[in-house]
Amino acid sequence: MTDPTADAGPPVDVRFTGVTKRYGKAVAVKALSLDIPRGSFFSLLGPSGCGKTTTLRLIAGFETPDEGDVFIRDRRVTETAPYRRDFAMVFQNFALFPHLTVEQNVGFGLRMSGVDRQARSRAVASALEMVKLSGFAERYPKQLSGGQQQRVAIARAIVMKPAVLLLDEPLGALDKNLREAMQVELRSLQRELGITTVFVTHDQEEALTMSDCVAVMRDGVIEQLGPPREIYERPATEFVATFLGASNMIDARVVEQGAQASLVEAPCGRFSVNGSYPQGTHLRLAIRPERIVLAGNGQDLPLPAIVRDVVYRGMTAHLFLECQGQQLLAFIQNTDQAALDWASGQTVTVALPPESLVLLDKGGAARG
Amino acid sequence: MADGFRLTRRWAALALLAPPLAVFLMFFVAPLVSLFWVSFHAPSQTELFGAELTVEHYATIFTDPFYHTIILRTLSTGGVILLLCLVLGYATAYVLAPLPQRQRLFLLLLLVVPLMVSNVVRAYGWIAILGRQGLINSLLRDTGLIDRPLLLLNSFEAVSFGLMTILLPYMVISVANALNAIDVQYREAAQSLRANPFKTFVHVTWPLSSPGVASGMLLVFLLTLSAYVTITLLGGPRMKLLVSLVFDAVGAFRWPLAAAISFVLLALALAISALILVVLRPQRVQGRG
Repeated sequence: MTDPTADAGPPVDVRFTGVTKRYGKAVAVKALSLDIPRGSFFSLLGPSGCGKTTTLRLIAGFETPDEGDVFIRDRRVTETAPYRRDFAMVFQNFALFPHLTVEQNVGFGLRMSGVDRQARSRAVASALEMVKLSGFAERYPKQLSGGQQQRVAIARAIVMKPAVLLLDEPLGALDKNLREAMQVELRSLQRELGITTVFVTHDQEEALTMSDCVAVMRDGVIEQLGPPREIYERPATEFVATFLGASNMIDARVVEQGAQASLVEAPCGRFSVNGSYPQGTHLRLAIRPERIVLAGNGQDLPLPAIVRDVVYRGMTAHLFLECQGQQLLAFIQNTDQAALDWASGQTVTVALPPESLVLLDKGGAARG
Repeated sequence: MADGFRLTRRWAALALLAPPLAVFLMFFVAPLVSLFWVSFHAPSQTELFGAELTVEHYATIFTDPFYHTIILRTLSTGGVILLLCLVLGYATAYVLAPLPQRQRLFLLLLLVVPLMVSNVVRAYGWIAILGRQGLINSLLRDTGLIDRPLLLLNSFEAVSFGLMTILLPYMVISVANALNAIDVQYREAAQSLRANPFKTFVHVTWPLSSPGVASGMLLVFLLTLSAYVTITLLGGPRMKLLVSLVFDAVGAFRWPLAAAISFVLLALALAISALILVVLRPQRVQGRG
């Protein structure tokens, strides 16, 4: 937000400045500032009660902030009624009007905006074509499958050509296969239309798959904001590291400061980390299970460990290791016949590659 | 095996259905059919009905201006009550529906309390208010606004108003339940699609509440047609409706005429019910046109 290069980037479609929303004494969103650039697919990710849905509803105007301002395309909309804001929304349970046909549902927004019948039916037809539901115009929502209802809800939103498209866990009501297919479809539709999209989800995989930018929320605050790869590979806090997939946490103390790297000591032994830290500094480190390197006994990896349990998962195996009292979880890829030949009780050696170790913020304080 | 089981199930279903069906046929369908039969006979001084077949009762009802007046009056009373109940009932329900559950149930319960008082008692209550020596007349006289008492009782207004107050709770409860069952998401969806609060009501809330409105209106109208005590006590000899004529005909031992009027009443009930359903189309909420 203070980044001077921000002005040179694409225009901002949604902006929050110091937005706070309380429900009684509970704070749902805490002093949130946020810029969502035009055309991006922006995800709000977090557990239930983290404030992600409230944030979305603040953009829509279904909630009004107690403090701060909300902007849509440079227009201050803090107190503007929802029907005067330039957005469209796909609701969690689709909220298709049961008494209207697919065509009437999709055309509803245009009808309310006073678009004449002919222009409306053309726009509806092309929106239905875009979601591959051309033959279904006369059906009622009850006569459609869950996936088809989802498409109608999307068509009803995109036909409005809104400044911002809000998606409130729209895939949650679908079964797994359909959900994955819809993820891809929704993403390509969003790219094709270049429509700024805010997506609320508690599913980390979904957020990583679909987004240009992910904001991980917790207790009304964005813990970390960045592209999916950065969020996953360089988590800033322990919460982010554990909410997005599994992570091993290691507490270590610097024993030797170098210019580029420092040697640290942890319960599992000594290893080096990137960066220069003064001797005696306590570091909280995280490493993804798939980044732990494993070799049989007798090979020269630095840290000895014992395999406590092996869980075969098909594509991978999960190895539960004990390394001098430190529990470590490692994912081993099933790359060849012998790759998963590990047995519990076996002695092994492991390495923690410095480039895979992530230094976490101590307090888990908010950034972004 | 499977077929045998299915057959057994069908017999079991029939066995379960038989007693209520028998009661229904014996105590509703059969009397109705015999009543219809009675309505086509000449009256008799000694028997329930005379031997001779005739359509004279229906002919009288359809040609005699007296009956026309009464039918029109019945319809207009019903219409006024329906309209008042719809407007007042919907407005009340609209306020009640979004309240927290406990508050809503408490207020609905308050609405139902008057129903626990007998119609006779309540009609006399109205007489105490509207009568010549009633509350309103004595107040107006004491303040010097009138010299002689207004004739408030035995009027179209007294009957309509009295019945309306009795029937209003049915409308409120029916509509409040329907409104309460509407998911907030529909209203939010409408707003997200540029519908202002008025358009949201017209295009979303109203149609989605139509099943409750229809059942409320049917209840109110059918209860209006069958109300007797309130009409007799508040309407008196001047303000008679079709039910009063049934009673009068029975009192004069003209059973076939009473039967014929009953069928006219039934036909009116069916026709207006059909009209209510056609106009409101409550089935559209089910998404089948």
